Amino acid sequence: MNSVGGRASEKPASVASRLGSMHLDKASLIQGIAVVAVVIFAVSTPGFLSTTSIRSLLTTVSFVGCVAVGMTFITLSGNIMSFSIGASMSATTIVFMASIALGLIPALILAFLFCAALNGIQGWLIGFFRANPLIISMAAYSMIIGSAVYITGGRGVYPLTNKADILTANLGPIPGPLAAFLFVAIAGQLILSFTRLGRNIYLVGTSPRAAKAAGIEPWRTVLWAYVAAGLCTAASAVLVAARYRSGDMEHGIGYEYHAISAVLVGGTSIRGGEGSVLRTLVGTVFIALMQGLLILRGFGIELQYLLIGLIVLAAIMLQWKVRT
Amino acid sequence: MQALPENQRTKSAADAGLSAPLFLGSPIFSARDLSKSFGPVNALKHLSVDFYPGEIRAICGENGAGKSTLVKILAGIDRPDAGTICFDGKVCPLSSSIEAQRLGIAMVAQELSICPDLSVFDNIWLGSVDVPFLPRRKELRRRAAEALRLLGAEHIALNTTVGQLTIGERQLVEIARMLTRNARVFILDEPTATLSDSEIDRIFVALARIKREGHSVIYITHRLAEVFKICDSVTVLRNGEMVGTVGIAAIDRKKLIEMMLGRPFVEMYPEHGYSAGDPLLQIEGLSVPGAVNDFSAVVPRGDIVCIAGQVGSGAEDVVRTVAGLVYNATGSVRVNGKPMRLGSAEEAFEHNINFVSGDRAEEGIFRSLSVTDNLVATRLRALSRFGFLNPNSLRAEALRLAARAGVDQRRLRARADDLSGGNQQKLAFGRCLGGAQAGLLVLIQPTRGIDIGARAEIYQLMHGLCSEGYGLLVASTDLEEVVGLGDVVITMYRSRQVGNYRGKAINMQDIMADIIHPLK
Repeated sequence: MNSVGGRASEKPASVASRLGSMHLDKASLIQGIAVVAVVIFAVSTPGFLSTTSIRSLLTTVSFVGCVAVGMTFITLSGNIMSFSIGASMSATTIVFMASIALGLIPALILAFLFCAALNGIQGWLIGFFRANPLIISMAAYSMIIGSAVYITGGRGVYPLTNKADILTANLGPIPGPLAAFLFVAIAGQLILSFTRLGRNIYLVGTSPRAAKAAGIEPWRTVLWAYVAAGLCTAASAVLVAARYRSGDMEHGIGYEYHAISAVLVGGTSIRGGEGSVLRTLVGTVFIALMQGLLILRGFGIELQYLLIGLIVLAAIMLQWKVRT
Repeated sequence: MQALPENQRTKSAADAGLSAPLFLGSPIFSARDLSKSFGPVNALKHLSVDFYPGEIRAICGENGAGKSTLVKILAGIDRPDAGTICFDGKVCPLSSSIEAQRLGIAMVAQELSICPDLSVFDNIWLGSVDVPFLPRRKELRRRAAEALRLLGAEHIALNTTVGQLTIGERQLVEIARMLTRNARVFILDEPTATLSDSEIDRIFVALARIKREGHSVIYITHRLAEVFKICDSVTVLRNGEMVGTVGIAAIDRKKLIEMMLGRPFVEMYPEHGYSAGDPLLQIEGLSVPGAVNDFSAVVPRGDIVCIAGQVGSGAEDVVRTVAGLVYNATGSVRVNGKPMRLGSAEEAFEHNINFVSGDRAEEGIFRSLSVTDNLVATRLRALSRFGFLNPNSLRAEALRLAARAGVDQRRLRARADDLSGGNQQKLAFGRCLGGAQAGLLVLIQPTRGIDIGARAEIYQLMHGLCSEGYGLLVASTDLEEVVGLGDVVITMYRSRQVGNYRGKAINMQDIMADIIHPLK
């Protein structure tokens, strides 16, 4: 092996790579410990192992989870996060409920198209004009809220129909929202792992310049990543709308924060190009568990916020530690 | 305080018969028994070296030999695990670069360390311990201008924002910063990698002046011609160990390379001649505002066409345009006779044009992804069916491309970051070689920052591609490479095309004259 030039310098590199994986193992070790601790905490909490509490946990996980899967696409594509995703979710609940009179299927199609377009436009602006993703999403947030309140007059939509109730029905033993979420998560992971779009998202997220030099147009990839995020968000929107039998600008409030928390706690890199839906899944469940447990143990909402903030901070610090 | 034996050499150097003292007098700066490891990697192993006043010392070695680690320790940026550093015979701990600066050690690091949003003036004085809390700007301006003048860079105004300068000019600013430091030891870590030959000549003049003033220069370079041109002696490192220090008169190019490699040297540039195949690429009247003015060229199949020019001459812009990365280019580019729309990387890719960037870290490869991911990055379109990919076929393709480009197949899962520069460049090549048909490869500085051994392999790879029917268009500032590699050499000077040489007409003098100061 040493007969060829340049190989001599390889040995340190390979050791360094092993070292790198050791560091990664350390990070997953910490994550593992955290998960085990939460599970012990959960089992020892009275009332946790009841059907009601688990059902409510799974419902929360399903609603936040769909949005978090969408956010994963945005983060992976190198665009950090979208502030507007909660607002576009709210707007989609309104579109869905306003069009439910046309029948469930047309309303679903409209809702998904609407949310995909809303996010796709942002993706196009960000990709094509290389605009700052955070600024664009903040502007979009404001514009979505503004136009929605202008159009609806600030009132929610409460159709007198139960056409959407089927979305909340059980699929055998599995609650409908959970089944929908599992479908979104599996589809998201499959897209990332086994399609050209998925690969391109990783490449562009790692380095848009390098991707361009490899013959990939980064803007197109970013656009599709946002469309994917919009579709995932729409899934959450119709589930929430069906559950509350209404469309309202309040429905999506806070979802962008919960989603990005789940993405980061799961261990997807904020710099893009590294992570997966699977990790987001872990992050979503972890955060929802913590929240549920705190409620069961009688802690207030303020403590929930504090704790989630701390967990997100720890997740970010852990990423930083691994990188350096 | 501690007395040190003069000219102490390591055992291996003594064995090699290279232990004769080179200089009389006492060293200004010496390192004794330095060791440094990064995790389990031993970057330096018990290394001792002396530097003398009035001397320009080259430090040579392949990538990973420990050159940069050594100078980082000498400049106080990194701290050694063991060993001592003596300045003027006194042991100094060198715990920070500020302390090194106070002692009189100045350094130009390998990576640009310049703030693009500040002015040239601010950048020159950035981090200097000479600047008091309330500086007298007039005096500082005079000294900064003086340093730029020494480098023949008077045209760079002190008020210019550095972001507006070319990379070569930025490097000059950084060297000017070093010159203002009132230092006695000047360390330059590959200062010429981004510079053109005329700029390099100016730096050499400045270095010769430093030497005449009795100061010491430590000079790291991959370009051996520079070693023989300006250095008095050369220290060779290999795998973190000292091979020896020799006076420049006592060694020639071949011996130096053999010292670096630790084995006999095979000729770097394979024999090759102009084959005049069918025209693969035809460029006519290509212009890029502010960069290229009316450029025309033909790249035949089976040939390497080199565009030689200084940094900023437009040579790189021509290549970037052909790769579809310049949005405001005009003119006609035909591939295999078919016209190509400019400004779209995808379009260029569809015409079977593959691009190997000169900026390997940021553009050439995906650093944080695996070797496999890098190799198949350009092949996703070809390997997908209705947008879906089969992991097995991706793996098979990565294996195939790794074999073609000479990347170790056992390292397909390693991160690209963990590979040496030479192997990273092979990755960048490998991902271009997937197409069923031989296409066009366009390259910028294909061997920038790559050690001699890997360089020879890459040249061989390039010639191998020629015989498969690929055509290569290369932009390079390295004249030795251009002359050794090119079947056709086109010279450029300030956005315009100067000369066109073919086969036997290719010679260093004319090309040098063309790109520095053309008469035509």
